[in-house]
Amino acid sequence: MDHVLQVTELKKSFRGHLSIGVHHVLDGINLSVPKGVIYGFLGPNGAGKTTTIKILAGLLFPDAGEARIFGRSSTDRSVRRRIGFLPETPYFYDYLKGAELLAFMGRLYGLSPSQLSRRVPELLETVGLKGQGKLQLRKYSKGMLQRIGLAQALIHDPELVILDEPMSGLDPIGRREIRDLILSLKEQGKTVFFSSHILADAEMLCDQVAILVKGRVVQEGVLEVLLGSEVRFWDVTLGGLETFSPPPGCSVLTHRGGQVLVRVESEAILQALLDKARAEGASVRSVMPHKASLEDLFMAQIPGGGT
Amino acid sequence: MTPVAITPRLTLVQVYAIAKNTFKEAVRSRIFYILLAFAVCLLLFSFVMGLLAIGSLRRVILDMGLSTIAYFSAATAIFIGIGLIYKEVERKTIYNVLSKPLSRSSFILGRYLGIMTVLLVNLVAMTLVLAGVLASVGAFTARIFPAVGYIYLELMILSAVALFFSSVSSPVVSAICTVAFYLIGHTSSSIPSFLVPLVQSDFAKRALLLLYHLLPDLNLLDINNLVVHDIATAPGFAVRGVTYTLLMVAALLLASSLCFKRRDLV
Repeated sequence: MDHVLQVTELKKSFRGHLSIGVHHVLDGINLSVPKGVIYGFLGPNGAGKTTTIKILAGLLFPDAGEARIFGRSSTDRSVRRRIGFLPETPYFYDYLKGAELLAFMGRLYGLSPSQLSRRVPELLETVGLKGQGKLQLRKYSKGMLQRIGLAQALIHDPELVILDEPMSGLDPIGRREIRDLILSLKEQGKTVFFSSHILADAEMLCDQVAILVKGRVVQEGVLEVLLGSEVRFWDVTLGGLETFSPPPGCSVLTHRGGQVLVRVESEAILQALLDKARAEGASVRSVMPHKASLEDLFMAQIPGGGT
Repeated sequence: MTPVAITPRLTLVQVYAIAKNTFKEAVRSRIFYILLAFAVCLLLFSFVMGLLAIGSLRRVILDMGLSTIAYFSAATAIFIGIGLIYKEVERKTIYNVLSKPLSRSSFILGRYLGIMTVLLVNLVAMTLVLAGVLASVGAFTARIFPAVGYIYLELMILSAVALFFSSVSSPVVSAICTVAFYLIGHTSSSIPSFLVPLVQSDFAKRALLLLYHLLPDLNLLDINNLVVHDIATAPGFAVRGVTYTLLMVAALLLASSLCFKRRDLV
Protein backbone atom coordinates (compact mmCIF):
# COMPACT_ATOMS: atom_id res chain seq x y z
CA MET A 1 0.00 0.00 0.00
CA ASP A 2 1.16 3.54 -0.77
CA HIS A 3 1.85 5.30 2.55
CA VAL A 4 2.12 9.07 2.71
CA LEU A 5 3.22 9.12 6.32
CA GLN A 6 5.28 6.62 8.26
CA VAL A 7 6.48 7.01 11.80
CA THR A 8 9.02 4.55 13.15
CA GLU A 9 10.08 4.16 16.79
CA LEU A 10 9.64 7.87 17.41
CA LYS A 11 10.84 9.06 20.80
CA LYS A 12 10.72 12.47 22.39
CA SER A 13 11.34 13.66 25.91
CA PHE A 14 11.49 17.05 27.55
CA ARG A 15 13.59 18.25 30.45
CA GLY A 16 11.84 19.69 33.48
CA HIS A 17 12.44 23.11 34.99
CA LEU A 18 16.12 23.90 35.58
CA SER A 19 16.84 20.74 33.51
CA ILE A 20 15.87 18.56 36.48
CA GLY A 21 14.14 15.32 35.53
CA VAL A 22 13.17 14.04 32.11
CA HIS A 23 9.59 13.66 30.96
CA HIS A 24 9.24 10.98 28.28
CA VAL A 25 6.37 12.06 26.04
CA LEU A 26 6.78 9.67 23.12
CA ASP A 27 8.10 6.22 23.86
CA GLY A 28 8.79 4.69 20.45
CA ILE A 29 5.60 5.16 18.45
CA ASN A 30 4.90 3.60 15.05
CA LEU A 31 2.25 4.80 12.59
CA SER A 32 1.45 4.13 8.94
CA VAL A 33 -0.98 6.37 7.11
CA PRO A 34 -2.05 5.18 3.65
CA LYS A 35 -2.81 7.59 0.85
CA GLY A 36 -6.35 8.95 0.56
CA VAL A 37 -7.69 8.00 4.00
CA ILE A 38 -9.01 9.96 6.93
CA TYR A 39 -6.80 8.92 9.81
CA GLY A 40 -7.77 9.67 13.41
CA PHE A 41 -5.01 10.10 15.93
CA LEU A 42 -6.75 9.62 19.25
CA GLY A 43 -5.73 9.66 22.87
CA PRO A 44 -6.42 11.28 26.22
CA ASN A 45 -4.90 14.63 27.15
CA GLY A 46 -1.16 14.35 27.65
CA ALA A 47 -0.84 11.19 25.56
CA GLY A 48 1.60 12.85 23.16
CA LYS A 49 -0.66 13.66 20.19
CA THR A 50 0.40 17.30 19.83
CA THR A 51 4.07 16.42 20.32
CA THR A 52 3.84 13.89 17.48
CA ILE A 53 2.07 16.38 15.24
CA LYS A 54 4.65 19.09 16.00
CA ILE A 55 7.40 16.67 14.95
CA LEU A 56 5.51 16.01 11.70
CA ALA A 57 5.23 19.78 11.14
CA GLY A 58 8.95 20.33 11.73
CA LEU A 59 8.46 22.32 14.93
CA LEU A 60 10.07 19.75 17.22
CA PHE A 61 13.00 17.44 16.63
CA PRO A 62 12.74 13.77 17.69
CA ASP A 63 15.26 12.27 20.12
CA ALA A 64 15.21 8.94 18.25
CA GLY A 65 13.31 7.24 15.46
CA GLU A 66 12.00 9.04 12.44
CA ALA A 67 8.91 10.45 10.80
CA ARG A 68 8.83 10.16 7.01
CA ILE A 69 6.35 12.07 4.90
CA PHE A 70 6.13 11.27 1.19
CA GLY A 71 9.29 9.23 1.72
CA ARG A 72 11.32 12.12 3.14
CA SER A 73 12.25 13.08 6.69
CA SER A 74 9.81 15.46 8.39
CA THR A 75 12.79 17.75 9.07
CA ASP A 76 13.25 18.23 5.31
CA ARG A 77 11.47 21.48 4.54
CA SER A 78 10.69 20.46 0.98
CA VAL A 79 8.05 18.00 2.26
CA ARG A 80 6.18 20.87 3.86
CA ARG A 81 5.24 22.14 0.40
CA ARG A 82 2.85 19.20 0.21
CA ILE A 83 1.42 19.47 3.73
CA GLY A 84 -1.28 21.69 5.14
CA PHE A 85 -1.09 22.13 8.91
CA LEU A 86 -3.52 23.46 11.48
CA PRO A 87 -2.03 23.73 14.98
CA GLU A 88 -4.07 23.12 18.11
CA THR A 89 -5.92 26.32 19.08
CA PRO A 90 -4.41 28.34 16.24
CA TYR A 91 -2.85 31.68 17.14
CA PHE A 92 -2.54 34.22 14.39
CA TYR A 93 -1.24 37.74 13.94
CA ASP A 94 -4.32 39.54 15.25
CA TYR A 95 -3.40 42.79 13.50
CA LEU A 96 -3.91 41.12 10.11
CA LYS A 97 -7.24 40.84 8.33
CA GLY A 98 -8.51 37.37 7.41
CA ALA A 99 -7.71 37.76 3.71
CA GLU A 100 -4.29 39.25 4.52
CA LEU A 101 -3.42 36.24 6.65
CA LEU A 102 -4.31 33.83 3.84
CA ALA A 103 -2.32 35.87 1.32
CA PHE A 104 0.68 35.97 3.70
CA MET A 105 0.58 32.21 4.26
CA GLY A 106 0.12 31.66 0.52
CA ARG A 107 3.24 33.71 -0.22
CA LEU A 108 5.24 31.46 2.12
CA TYR A 109 4.24 28.58 -0.18
CA GLY A 110 5.32 30.63 -3.18
CA LEU A 111 1.84 31.28 -4.58
CA SER A 112 1.77 34.23 -6.96
CA PRO A 113 -0.44 37.29 -6.34
CA SER A 114 -2.70 36.23 -9.23
CA GLN A 115 -3.12 32.73 -7.78
CA LEU A 116 -3.90 34.26 -4.40
CA SER A 117 -6.50 36.65 -5.82
CA ARG A 118 -8.47 33.58 -6.94
CA ARG A 119 -7.66 31.23 -4.07
CA VAL A 120 -8.30 33.53 -1.09
CA PRO A 121 -12.01 34.35 -1.79
CA GLU A 122 -12.61 30.75 -2.82
CA LEU A 123 -11.25 29.43 0.47
CA LEU A 124 -13.03 32.04 2.58
CA GLU A 125 -16.26 30.80 1.05
CA THR A 126 -15.32 27.13 1.54
CA VAL A 127 -14.77 27.58 5.28
CA GLY A 128 -17.88 29.74 5.73
CA LEU A 129 -16.12 33.10 6.11
CA LYS A 130 -17.38 34.77 2.95
CA GLY A 131 -17.53 38.52 3.54
CA GLN A 132 -15.33 38.30 6.66
CA GLY A 133 -11.98 38.58 4.88
CA LYS A 134 -11.66 42.32 5.56
CA LEU A 135 -12.20 41.93 9.29
CA GLN A 136 -9.13 42.02 11.57
CA LEU A 137 -8.41 38.67 13.22
CA ARG A 138 -8.61 40.23 16.68
CA LYS A 139 -12.34 40.63 16.01
CA TYR A 140 -12.83 36.95 15.03
CA SER A 141 -14.60 34.53 17.38
CA LYS A 142 -12.92 31.27 18.39
CA GLY A 143 -14.91 29.36 15.79
CA MET A 144 -13.97 31.87 13.07
CA LEU A 145 -10.29 31.55 14.00
CA GLN A 146 -10.55 27.78 13.68
CA ARG A 147 -12.05 28.21 10.21
CA ILE A 148 -9.44 30.69 9.03
CA GLY A 149 -6.85 28.27 10.44
CA LEU A 150 -8.25 25.55 8.25
CA ALA A 151 -8.31 27.88 5.27
CA GLN A 152 -4.61 28.73 5.68
CA ALA A 153 -3.84 25.00 5.92
CA LEU A 154 -5.52 24.49 2.55
CA ILE A 155 -4.25 27.61 0.77
CA HIS A 156 -1.78 25.69 -1.42
CA ASP A 157 -4.08 22.72 -2.08
CA PRO A 158 -1.93 20.22 -0.13
CA GLU A 159 -1.91 16.45 -0.61
CA LEU A 160 -1.69 15.74 3.12
CA VAL A 161 -3.63 17.77 5.67
CA ILE A 162 -2.54 17.52 9.31
CA LEU A 163 -5.04 18.93 11.77
CA ASP A 164 -4.48 19.13 15.51
CA GLU A 165 -7.86 19.08 17.26
CA PRO A 166 -9.76 20.72 14.37
CA MET A 167 -13.12 20.50 16.14
CA SER A 168 -11.92 22.10 19.36
CA GLY A 169 -13.86 25.20 20.37
CA LEU A 170 -16.56 24.79 17.75
CA ASP A 171 -20.30 24.65 18.35
CA PRO A 172 -22.30 21.69 16.94
CA ILE A 173 -22.97 23.51 13.64
CA GLY A 174 -19.31 24.43 13.26
CA ARG A 175 -18.26 20.85 14.04
CA ARG A 176 -20.59 19.52 11.40
CA GLU A 177 -19.23 21.98 8.82
CA ILE A 178 -15.65 20.96 9.59
CA ARG A 179 -16.65 17.29 9.38
CA ASP A 180 -18.19 17.92 5.94
CA LEU A 181 -15.06 19.76 4.87
CA ILE A 182 -12.81 16.89 5.97
CA LEU A 183 -15.02 14.45 4.03
CA SER A 184 -14.84 16.67 0.95
CA LEU A 185 -11.02 16.70 1.23
CA LYS A 186 -11.08 12.91 1.16
CA GLU A 187 -13.33 13.00 -1.92
CA GLN A 188 -10.71 15.19 -3.59
CA GLY A 189 -8.18 12.39 -2.99
CA LYS A 190 -6.33 14.07 -0.13
CA THR A 191 -5.11 12.33 3.00
CA VAL A 192 -6.31 13.79 6.28
CA PHE A 193 -4.46 13.08 9.53
CA PHE A 194 -6.18 14.61 12.52
CA SER A 195 -5.98 14.36 16.27
CA SER A 196 -9.08 14.54 18.39
CA HIS A 197 -10.52 13.58 21.71
CA ILE A 198 -14.09 13.97 20.40
CA LEU A 199 -14.67 10.29 19.69
CA ALA A 200 -18.11 10.70 18.09
CA ASP A 201 -16.59 12.90 15.37
CA ALA A 202 -13.69 10.52 14.87
CA GLU A 203 -16.01 7.53 14.56
CA MET A 204 -18.09 9.30 11.93
CA LEU A 205 -15.08 10.38 9.87
CA CYS A 206 -12.18 7.98 10.17
CA ASP A 207 -11.19 5.11 7.95
CA GLN A 208 -8.29 4.31 10.20
CA VAL A 209 -7.34 5.24 13.74
CA ALA A 210 -4.45 5.00 16.13
CA ILE A 211 -4.95 5.25 19.87
CA LEU A 212 -2.08 6.77 21.78
CA VAL A 213 -1.76 6.26 25.53
CA LYS A 214 1.16 7.58 27.58
CA GLY A 215 3.37 7.96 24.53
CA ARG A 216 2.69 4.52 23.04
CA VAL A 217 0.35 3.45 20.25
CA VAL A 218 -1.88 0.81 21.84
CA GLN A 219 -4.19 0.24 18.86
CA GLU A 220 -3.82 1.04 15.18
CA GLY A 221 -5.74 -0.10 12.15
CA VAL A 222 -8.89 0.08 10.04
CA LEU A 223 -11.73 1.28 12.25
CA GLU A 224 -14.25 -1.35 11.08
CA VAL A 225 -11.79 -4.14 11.79
CA LEU A 226 -10.92 -2.77 15.21
CA LEU A 227 -14.56 -2.39 16.21
CA GLY A 228 -15.68 -5.74 14.75
CA SER A 229 -19.20 -6.57 13.56
CA GLU A 230 -20.38 -8.53 16.58
CA VAL A 231 -23.44 -7.23 18.48
CA ARG A 232 -22.55 -6.71 22.14
CA PHE A 233 -26.12 -6.33 23.50
CA TRP A 234 -29.67 -5.42 22.49
CA ASP A 235 -32.00 -2.86 24.03
CA VAL A 236 -35.64 -3.99 23.67
CA THR A 237 -38.60 -1.67 24.24
CA LEU A 238 -41.89 -3.40 25.09
CA GLY A 239 -45.26 -1.65 25.44
CA GLY A 240 -48.65 -2.42 27.04
CA LEU A 241 -47.27 -4.04 30.19
CA GLU A 242 -48.37 -2.98 33.67
CA THR A 243 -46.31 -5.71 35.31
CA PHE A 244 -43.56 -7.75 33.72
CA SER A 245 -41.02 -10.23 35.05
CA PRO A 246 -38.35 -10.80 32.40
CA PRO A 247 -36.74 -14.20 31.82
CA PRO A 248 -33.35 -14.86 33.51
CA GLY A 249 -30.39 -13.11 31.87
CA CYS A 250 -32.30 -9.85 31.12
CA SER A 251 -31.98 -6.60 33.03
CA VAL A 252 -34.81 -4.06 33.20
CA LEU A 253 -33.41 -0.58 32.68
CA THR A 254 -36.70 1.38 33.03
CA HIS A 255 -40.39 0.57 33.58
CA ARG A 256 -42.65 3.58 33.17
CA GLY A 257 -46.30 4.00 32.06
CA GLY A 258 -46.64 0.44 30.76
CA GLN A 259 -43.38 0.71 28.75
CA VAL A 260 -40.38 -1.43 29.67
CA LEU A 261 -36.79 -1.04 28.44
CA VAL A 262 -34.85 -4.30 28.79
CA ARG A 263 -31.16 -5.01 28.03
CA VAL A 264 -30.24 -8.47 26.74
CA GLU A 265 -26.71 -9.74 26.16
CA SER A 266 -27.29 -12.94 24.12
CA GLU A 267 -29.35 -13.81 21.06
CA ALA A 268 -30.92 -16.88 22.79
CA ILE A 269 -32.15 -14.79 25.70
CA LEU A 270 -33.44 -12.18 23.23
CA GLN A 271 -35.65 -14.83 21.61
CA ALA A 272 -36.87 -16.01 25.02
CA LEU A 273 -37.71 -12.41 25.97
CA LEU A 274 -39.61 -11.74 22.76
CA ASP A 275 -41.57 -15.03 23.10
CA LYS A 276 -42.53 -14.24 26.69
CA ALA A 277 -43.52 -10.68 25.81
CA ARG A 278 -45.80 -11.83 22.98
CA ALA A 279 -47.31 -14.52 25.22
CA GLU A 280 -48.21 -11.83 27.80
CA GLY A 281 -49.81 -9.67 25.07
CA ALA A 282 -47.08 -7.00 25.00
CA SER A 283 -46.21 -5.06 21.86
CA VAL A 284 -42.56 -5.04 20.74
CA ARG A 285 -41.81 -1.39 19.98
CA SER A 286 -38.12 -1.62 19.17
CA VAL A 287 -35.14 -3.97 19.22
CA MET A 288 -31.88 -2.04 19.06
CA PRO A 289 -28.63 -3.97 18.53
CA HIS A 290 -25.47 -2.30 19.90
CA LYS A 291 -22.06 -2.97 18.41
CA ALA A 292 -18.79 -1.88 20.01
CA SER A 293 -18.25 1.85 19.58
CA LEU A 294 -15.01 3.76 19.24
CA GLU A 295 -15.65 5.00 22.76
CA ASP A 296 -15.77 1.38 24.03
CA LEU A 297 -12.54 0.61 22.19
CA PHE A 298 -10.93 3.81 23.46
CA MET A 299 -12.00 3.31 27.08
CA ALA A 300 -10.76 -0.28 27.02
CA GLN A 301 -7.27 1.03 26.21
CA ILE A 302 -7.12 3.64 28.93
CA PRO A 303 -5.94 2.43 32.34
CA GLY A 304 -9.04 2.68 34.55
CA GLY A 305 -11.15 3.67 31.54
CA GLY A 306 -13.11 0.46 31.43
CA THR A 307 -14.44 0.83 34.96
CA MET B 1 -1.88 23.11 -7.70
CA THR B 2 1.70 21.89 -8.20
CA PRO B 3 3.97 22.51 -5.20
CA VAL B 4 6.48 25.27 -5.89
CA ALA B 5 10.08 24.04 -5.97
CA ILE B 6 12.44 25.28 -3.27
CA THR B 7 14.59 27.74 -5.16
CA PRO B 8 16.50 30.89 -4.21
CA ARG B 9 13.58 32.82 -5.72
CA LEU B 10 11.10 31.16 -3.31
CA THR B 11 13.44 31.99 -0.42
CA LEU B 12 13.48 35.64 -1.52
CA VAL B 13 9.67 35.70 -1.75
CA GLN B 14 9.43 34.18 1.73
CA VAL B 15 11.96 36.58 3.28
CA TYR B 16 10.09 39.50 1.69
CA ALA B 17 6.74 38.18 3.02
CA ILE B 18 8.13 37.86 6.57
CA ALA B 19 9.74 41.33 6.38
CA LYS B 20 6.50 42.88 5.10
CA ASN B 21 4.52 41.22 7.88
CA THR B 22 7.01 42.45 10.51
CA PHE B 23 6.64 45.96 9.11
CA LYS B 24 2.82 45.71 9.26
CA GLU B 25 3.04 44.46 12.84
CA ALA B 26 5.04 47.51 13.90
CA VAL B 27 3.09 50.16 12.03
CA ARG B 28 -0.22 48.77 13.24
CA SER B 29 0.84 49.03 16.89
CA ARG B 30 0.12 52.18 18.87
CA ILE B 31 3.46 52.23 20.65
CA PHE B 32 5.28 52.91 17.37
CA TYR B 33 3.31 56.12 16.85
CA ILE B 34 3.64 57.16 20.50
CA LEU B 35 7.45 56.87 20.29
CA LEU B 36 7.53 58.68 16.96
CA ALA B 37 5.23 61.47 18.18
CA PHE B 38 7.34 61.92 21.30
CA ALA B 39 10.50 62.15 19.21
CA VAL B 40 8.92 64.71 16.86
CA CYS B 41 7.83 66.80 19.88
CA LEU B 42 11.42 66.77 21.19
CA LEU B 43 12.75 67.80 17.77
CA LEU B 44 10.36 70.73 17.74
CA PHE B 45 11.41 71.52 21.29
CA SER B 46 15.03 71.76 20.08
CA PHE B 47 13.89 74.79 18.10
CA VAL B 48 12.66 76.48 21.30
CA MET B 49 15.89 75.61 23.07
CA GLY B 50 17.84 77.04 20.15
CA LEU B 51 15.99 80.34 20.45
CA LEU B 52 16.89 80.51 24.16
CA ALA B 53 20.59 79.90 23.48
CA ILE B 54 21.41 83.23 21.94
CA GLY B 55 23.99 83.08 19.19
CA SER B 56 24.22 79.29 18.94
CA LEU B 57 20.82 78.48 17.50
CA ARG B 58 22.14 76.19 14.73
CA ARG B 59 24.46 74.26 17.07
CA VAL B 60 21.78 73.67 19.71
CA ILE B 61 19.17 72.52 17.19
CA LEU B 62 21.68 70.22 15.48
CA ASP B 63 23.01 68.80 18.73
CA MET B 64 19.63 68.24 20.32
CA GLY B 65 18.02 67.12 17.08
CA LEU B 66 20.62 64.50 16.17
CA SER B 67 20.76 63.22 19.76
CA THR B 68 16.97 62.90 19.86
CA ILE B 69 17.00 60.96 16.60
CA ALA B 70 19.80 58.68 17.80
CA TYR B 71 18.26 57.91 21.21
CA PHE B 72 14.68 57.45 20.02
CA SER B 73 15.71 55.25 17.12
CA ALA B 74 17.82 53.15 19.46
CA ALA B 75 14.89 52.89 21.91
CA THR B 76 12.57 51.81 19.08
CA ALA B 77 15.13 49.28 17.79
CA ILE B 78 15.55 47.77 21.26
CA PHE B 79 11.83 47.85 22.02
CA ILE B 80 10.81 46.08 18.82
CA GLY B 81 13.93 43.93 18.48
CA ILE B 82 13.75 42.20 21.86
CA GLY B 83 10.35 40.71 21.03
CA LEU B 84 11.01 39.80 17.40
CA ILE B 85 11.50 36.06 17.98
CA TYR B 86 10.47 35.59 21.59
CA LYS B 87 6.97 36.99 21.11
CA GLU B 88 6.37 34.78 18.07
CA VAL B 89 7.21 31.72 20.17
CA GLU B 90 5.32 32.98 23.24
CA ARG B 91 2.18 33.81 21.24
CA LYS B 92 2.53 30.59 19.25
CA THR B 93 2.12 32.49 15.97
CA ILE B 94 5.38 30.90 14.90
CA TYR B 95 3.76 27.45 14.59
CA ASN B 96 1.88 28.50 11.51
CA VAL B 97 4.83 30.19 9.90
CA LEU B 98 7.53 27.60 10.49
CA SER B 99 5.29 24.70 9.43
CA LYS B 100 5.55 26.16 5.92
CA PRO B 101 8.49 25.34 3.58
CA LEU B 102 10.48 28.18 5.14
CA SER B 103 13.93 27.79 6.66
CA ARG B 104 14.49 29.20 10.11
CA SER B 105 17.36 31.32 8.76
CA SER B 106 14.97 32.92 6.25
CA PHE B 107 12.58 33.64 9.10
CA ILE B 108 15.35 35.35 11.11
CA LEU B 109 16.47 37.34 8.07
CA GLY B 110 12.89 38.36 7.22
CA ARG B 111 12.22 39.55 10.76
CA TYR B 112 15.50 41.51 10.71
CA LEU B 113 14.79 43.18 7.37
CA GLY B 114 11.28 44.00 8.61
CA ILE B 115 12.54 45.86 11.67
CA MET B 116 15.19 47.63 9.57
CA THR B 117 12.42 48.89 7.26
CA VAL B 118 10.42 50.13 10.25
CA LEU B 119 13.48 51.93 11.60
CA LEU B 120 14.20 53.44 8.19
CA VAL B 121 10.68 54.90 7.95
CA ASN B 122 11.01 56.15 11.52
CA LEU B 123 14.38 57.74 10.77
CA VAL B 124 13.22 59.38 7.54
CA ALA B 125 10.23 60.92 9.34
CA MET B 126 12.41 62.32 12.15
CA THR B 127 15.07 63.57 9.72
CA LEU B 128 12.48 65.45 7.69
CA VAL B 129 11.24 67.15 10.85
CA LEU B 130 14.81 68.11 11.84
CA ALA B 131 15.54 69.37 8.32
CA GLY B 132 12.32 71.42 8.48
CA VAL B 133 13.27 72.94 11.85
CA LEU B 134 16.77 73.80 10.58
CA ALA B 135 15.42 75.27 7.33
CA SER B 136 12.88 77.40 9.23
CA VAL B 137 15.74 79.25 10.95
CA GLY B 138 17.91 79.33 7.86
CA ALA B 139 20.46 76.89 9.34
CA PHE B 140 19.90 73.86 7.15
CA THR B 141 22.96 71.74 6.47
CA ALA B 142 23.05 68.65 4.24
CA ARG B 143 25.51 67.10 6.70
CA ILE B 144 22.58 65.89 8.78
CA PHE B 145 22.03 63.20 6.13
CA PRO B 146 25.36 61.39 6.56
CA ALA B 147 24.94 61.78 10.33
CA VAL B 148 21.55 60.06 10.13
CA GLY B 149 23.11 57.45 7.82
CA TYR B 150 25.61 56.58 10.55
CA ILE B 151 22.78 56.42 13.08
CA TYR B 152 21.15 53.88 10.76
CA LEU B 153 24.34 51.80 10.69
CA GLU B 154 24.31 51.77 14.48
CA LEU B 155 20.64 50.70 14.43
CA MET B 156 21.56 47.84 12.11
CA ILE B 157 23.96 46.52 14.75
CA LEU B 158 21.65 47.23 17.67
CA SER B 159 18.68 45.46 16.02
CA ALA B 160 20.83 42.44 15.21
CA VAL B 161 21.94 42.31 18.86
CA ALA B 162 18.32 42.56 20.09
CA LEU B 163 17.25 39.89 17.58
CA PHE B 164 20.05 37.58 18.72
CA PHE B 165 19.05 37.89 22.38
CA SER B 166 15.37 37.54 21.44
CA SER B 167 16.13 34.19 19.81
CA VAL B 168 17.66 32.81 23.00
CA SER B 169 16.03 34.56 25.94
CA SER B 170 13.07 36.50 27.32
CA PRO B 171 12.37 40.17 26.45
CA VAL B 172 13.51 41.41 29.88
CA VAL B 173 16.86 39.62 29.66
CA SER B 174 17.18 40.67 26.01
CA ALA B 175 16.46 44.31 26.90
CA ILE B 176 19.06 44.31 29.70
CA CYS B 177 21.70 42.69 27.46
CA THR B 178 20.99 44.96 24.48
CA VAL B 179 21.07 48.12 26.60
CA ALA B 180 24.33 46.89 28.16
CA PHE B 181 25.72 46.35 24.65
CA TYR B 182 24.67 49.89 23.69
CA LEU B 183 26.28 51.45 26.77
CA ILE B 184 29.49 49.44 26.40
CA GLY B 185 29.54 50.27 22.69
CA HIS B 186 29.45 53.99 23.46
CA THR B 187 32.05 53.93 26.24
CA SER B 188 34.59 51.34 25.01
CA SER B 189 36.44 53.94 22.91
CA SER B 190 37.59 55.55 26.17
CA ILE B 191 39.80 52.49 26.80
CA PRO B 192 42.48 53.37 24.21
CA SER B 193 41.99 57.12 24.48
CA PHE B 194 41.73 57.48 28.26
CA LEU B 195 42.65 54.30 30.19
CA VAL B 196 45.66 53.06 28.21
CA PRO B 197 47.71 56.29 28.66
CA LEU B 198 47.07 56.08 32.39
CA VAL B 199 48.67 52.65 32.96
CA GLN B 200 52.46 52.10 33.08
CA SER B 201 52.86 48.38 32.45
CA ASP B 202 53.12 47.16 28.87
CA PHE B 203 51.23 44.02 29.78
CA ALA B 204 48.33 46.03 31.20
CA LYS B 205 48.32 48.28 28.13
CA ARG B 206 48.13 45.21 25.83
CA ALA B 207 45.46 43.62 27.98
CA LEU B 208 43.37 46.79 27.85
CA LEU B 209 43.80 47.07 24.08
CA LEU B 210 42.80 43.42 23.68
CA LEU B 211 39.73 44.09 25.81
CA TYR B 212 38.90 47.10 23.63
CA HIS B 213 39.12 44.98 20.46
CA LEU B 214 36.83 42.38 21.99
CA LEU B 215 34.21 44.95 22.94
CA PRO B 216 31.88 46.68 20.47
CA ASP B 217 32.76 50.28 19.58
CA LEU B 218 29.68 52.14 18.42
CA ASN B 219 31.54 55.47 18.48
CA LEU B 220 33.11 54.33 15.21
CA LEU B 221 29.70 55.18 13.76
CA ASP B 222 29.04 58.45 15.60
CA ILE B 223 29.68 61.65 13.69
CA ASN B 224 27.07 63.77 15.45
CA ASN B 225 29.66 65.87 17.27
CA LEU B 226 31.65 66.40 14.08
CA VAL B 227 28.53 67.64 12.27
CA VAL B 228 27.53 69.92 15.17
CA HIS B 229 30.99 71.50 15.25
CA ASP B 230 31.37 71.46 11.48
CA ILE B 231 34.44 69.21 11.46
CA ALA B 232 35.18 66.94 8.51
CA THR B 233 35.42 63.18 9.03
CA ALA B 234 38.78 61.46 8.61
CA PRO B 235 39.49 59.76 5.27
CA GLY B 236 38.34 56.12 5.24
CA PHE B 237 35.88 56.73 8.11
CA ALA B 238 32.87 55.71 6.01
CA VAL B 239 34.49 52.54 4.62
CA ARG B 240 35.58 51.47 8.09
CA GLY B 241 32.12 52.17 9.55
CA VAL B 242 30.23 50.30 6.84
CA THR B 243 32.62 47.31 6.95
CA TYR B 244 32.43 47.17 10.75
CA THR B 245 28.61 47.25 10.62
CA LEU B 246 28.26 44.60 7.92
CA LEU B 247 30.65 42.21 9.70
CA MET B 248 28.89 42.68 13.04
CA VAL B 249 25.42 42.20 11.51
CA ALA B 250 26.49 39.12 9.55
CA ALA B 251 28.05 37.54 12.66
CA LEU B 252 25.01 38.30 14.82
CA LEU B 253 22.46 37.03 12.27
CA LEU B 254 24.52 33.88 11.77
CA ALA B 255 24.66 33.33 15.54
CA SER B 256 20.88 33.90 15.81
CA SER B 257 20.23 31.39 13.03
CA LEU B 258 22.50 28.77 14.59
CA CYS B 259 20.87 29.17 18.00
CA PHE B 260 17.40 28.97 16.49
CA LYS B 261 18.02 26.26 13.92
CA ARG B 262 17.58 23.20 16.16
CA ARG B 263 15.43 24.80 18.82
CA ASP B 264 12.31 22.86 19.80
CA LEU B 265 9.21 25.04 19.54
CA VAL B 266 7.31 23.59 22.49
